Amino acid sequence: MTITTSNLAVEATGVWKVFNEGQANEVTALQDVNLSVDTGEFISLIGPSGCGKSTLLRVIADLTEATRGEMKVAGHTPHEAREQQLYGMAFQQAALFEWRTVRRNVELPLELQGWDKDKRKDRAMELLDMVQLADFAEHRPWELSGGMQQRVAIARSLAVDPTILLMDEPFGALDEMTRERMQNELLRIRKETGKSIIFVTHSIPEAVYLSDRVVVMSPRPGRITDIVPVPLGDARDEDTREADEFFDAVTAVREALRGHVGGAGARAKVGEV
Amino acid sequence: MSNAATIERPAPSGASRSSGMARRMKNGGISLLWALAGVGLVVIMWELVKWLGNYIPMPFNTSDMTMPHVWTMVAAMGEPEVRGSENTVLDAVISAALRSLMLAVGGFIIGVAVGLLLAVIMQRFLFAERGLLPFVIASQTVPLIALAPLIVGIGNRIEIGPVKWTTTYSVMFIAAYLAFFPLSVGALRGLQAPSPTSLELMRSYAASPGQTTRKLRFPSSIPYLVPALKVSAAAAVVGTVVAEISTGVRGGIGRLLIEYARQITSQPAKVYVAVFGAIALGLLVAALVTALDVYLTRNLPKEKNA
Amino acid sequence: MSSQTADRLKFVWPPVLIALLFLGAWQLLVVVREIEPFLLPAPSLIAENFFGDLALMWETAYYTGTTAFLGLLFGTIAGLVMALLAQRFVVVNNLITPLAAGLAAVPIIALTPILNNMFSITSRTPRVLVTAIIVFFPMLVNVTRGLIQVQPVQLELMRSMNAQPRTVLRVLRIPNAIPFFFTGMKVAAPLAVIAALVAEYFGGPQQGLGSRIASSAANTAYGRAWAYVVAAIITGLVFYLIVLAVERWTTPWTGRTRSA
Repeated sequence: MTITTSNLAVEATGVWKVFNEGQANEVTALQDVNLSVDTGEFISLIGPSGCGKSTLLRVIADLTEATRGEMKVAGHTPHEAREQQLYGMAFQQAALFEWRTVRRNVELPLELQGWDKDKRKDRAMELLDMVQLADFAEHRPWELSGGMQQRVAIARSLAVDPTILLMDEPFGALDEMTRERMQNELLRIRKETGKSIIFVTHSIPEAVYLSDRVVVMSPRPGRITDIVPVPLGDARDEDTREADEFFDAVTAVREALRGHVGGAGARAKVGEV
Repeated sequence: MSNAATIERPAPSGASRSSGMARRMKNGGISLLWALAGVGLVVIMWELVKWLGNYIPMPFNTSDMTMPHVWTMVAAMGEPEVRGSENTVLDAVISAALRSLMLAVGGFIIGVAVGLLLAVIMQRFLFAERGLLPFVIASQTVPLIALAPLIVGIGNRIEIGPVKWTTTYSVMFIAAYLAFFPLSVGALRGLQAPSPTSLELMRSYAASPGQTTRKLRFPSSIPYLVPALKVSAAAAVVGTVVAEISTGVRGGIGRLLIEYARQITSQPAKVYVAVFGAIALGLLVAALVTALDVYLTRNLPKEKNA
Repeated sequence: MSSQTADRLKFVWPPVLIALLFLGAWQLLVVVREIEPFLLPAPSLIAENFFGDLALMWETAYYTGTTAFLGLLFGTIAGLVMALLAQRFVVVNNLITPLAAGLAAVPIIALTPILNNMFSITSRTPRVLVTAIIVFFPMLVNVTRGLIQVQPVQLELMRSMNAQPRTVLRVLRIPNAIPFFFTGMKVAAPLAVIAALVAEYFGGPQQGLGSRIASSAANTAYGRAWAYVVAAIITGLVFYLIVLAVERWTTPWTGRTRSA
């Protein structure tokens, strides 16, 4: 891997994304987005539907291109970053290939990079161990529960040892109990790997529990309205969920969201960041 | 029941559908242009192969006798059907195709009625479903058309009251027979489509089975019914033509095909006109069913563009 | 184990019972009402003819079955190749899709007399060709659908892994199309038998099922004609069951709930 000069995982400067520009159905999905994510930082993007949080993630991931502005991923353009496989992705749907076993799903990105068979298998087993699914390596995806499938997807996203993880509501389809377990799992994986993570979610407690900073976004036009730091430190566990600092941070994010979601009159303050 | 998969599921269709009638018409127009381009390509290929046949040996006969020029085929439409006759070949083909169309439509209607009835019975009575469905499915996989010559043999000897069974009825019977199977399977799947929640909702209203069928099962079966209707209509047309061919019933396009094929030495292009007639018949029915599709699905959400 | 067997039995006995009742009623009707064989031969008479000359039945079904198999083979190959082209080139897709949709209700079998003229009517070739053309369309439509209808999220995943179109085809599109391929095959295999049989009604060699059903009926050998019909039904069923068995064997994941 190339050594990057910048120690920023993501750096967005004046990024705009406009769909159907100049037409009647023009939509500004992202308006002048500025954001810096440190290496090793965990950032959540939160906001109501249509606030552009997924679009921002997709611009970072080079699944779509910014209309204006500059986006850097570990010092590279998103396109270069994708070609160098600097990031791993996980989606709301596990998107496992049902004709492959669990292990071969994890091997997929390695296969595309031309790893040889034995090394591939070792690496996949190592990752399945990490997500505690080694026993299910030879099962088919449809034999696994939703939470287990999502853990496989996360293992897959880590396979090529990416610099940065991009996660688009990966736990959105899971029940609350599974969801909390998965959050703990993700924190543990983060601690073990030290990855930079950008995490899109609808859930305020989830964003707070996981992140170093929560990026609050607002729709029409999609933009960043607030960035709420979460002073919970690195040692987070089930007790953290009941700590006062946790509730304070949840309240802070909720108020940041409400300030803009509630519409005109609710609050005068619109703190551009 | 996974082996009932021969019927198309109402999976998102390949064609991109966008909301708005105008958009749909526009897409249809573009498709039509592409189809015409495809036909043009076939014509060019035909003439090219024919021309190449003069220089390179082909695995088949490219003479004017077996592969007439496209313009010869067009010209043949205007020729008298038999010497001295006022009717042109085209007239004969059109009237034969219309007659086949009538038989196909008749068979289709009977087939749909019987198919729906059977589906309702199978949905209501578990025993009927378990007992009949394997046969309904198996019948899709076996060449029932093999019965055609025999059914005509039977048909010529039956009288039901004052009505003498004619070979026409036999053809319609075969068409109905082929049309009914795909429909009954599709309709059964559709009738079983409502979610348990919807059924429980009807139950909470103390709705009778009849009401549930009318208010819930029929409407929710439409996405399953439409593809089944398409398959059935196609089966009715193909069944009609094949029945006419295999029974030799006069008047329809199937018989005309065989007759014209025999006149290949005197009027080689004639049989092509009959083939075009059969193709036109199929296209017409496909268009009619599409119109029916548009009508039946007018209240359903349109699929998003892929 | 025993409860599983009982469970299976629950699905087996209703059709068996209905079949037996049906055959019994048929036999009874024919015997009691003294129905002439030209109207409806008794099941016993059909069975007598069928088992009376099994070798002939086999030979006849083998001829038509071979035609159907060759047509199925060539039509499937052509359909696969065209589907790959349609997936790769938009122009091909645009040309083919409306054509395939329009031809759905067209009795393609009507091409037989033309093919009989172009190729030697005394050979099997025209029949194989018309069968192949009939098989071609359902295969093309289904396989194209399977290649194109990939979950968008899976495509994005492939893109995030920097996969080239050819890799996407190999790793994602083709495996995704396999269940669609079998859906097409389950339609095409019985169609192939029907096409091979009906193509025989246009003249040519006389040793197939279609020819012999027609000639037996013409010679008032109705029991024999029905016996050939039974042979035709068995042939169709065998084609279908083979496809079904191959499907179960190669794609155990179909019919399962898709991964979320």
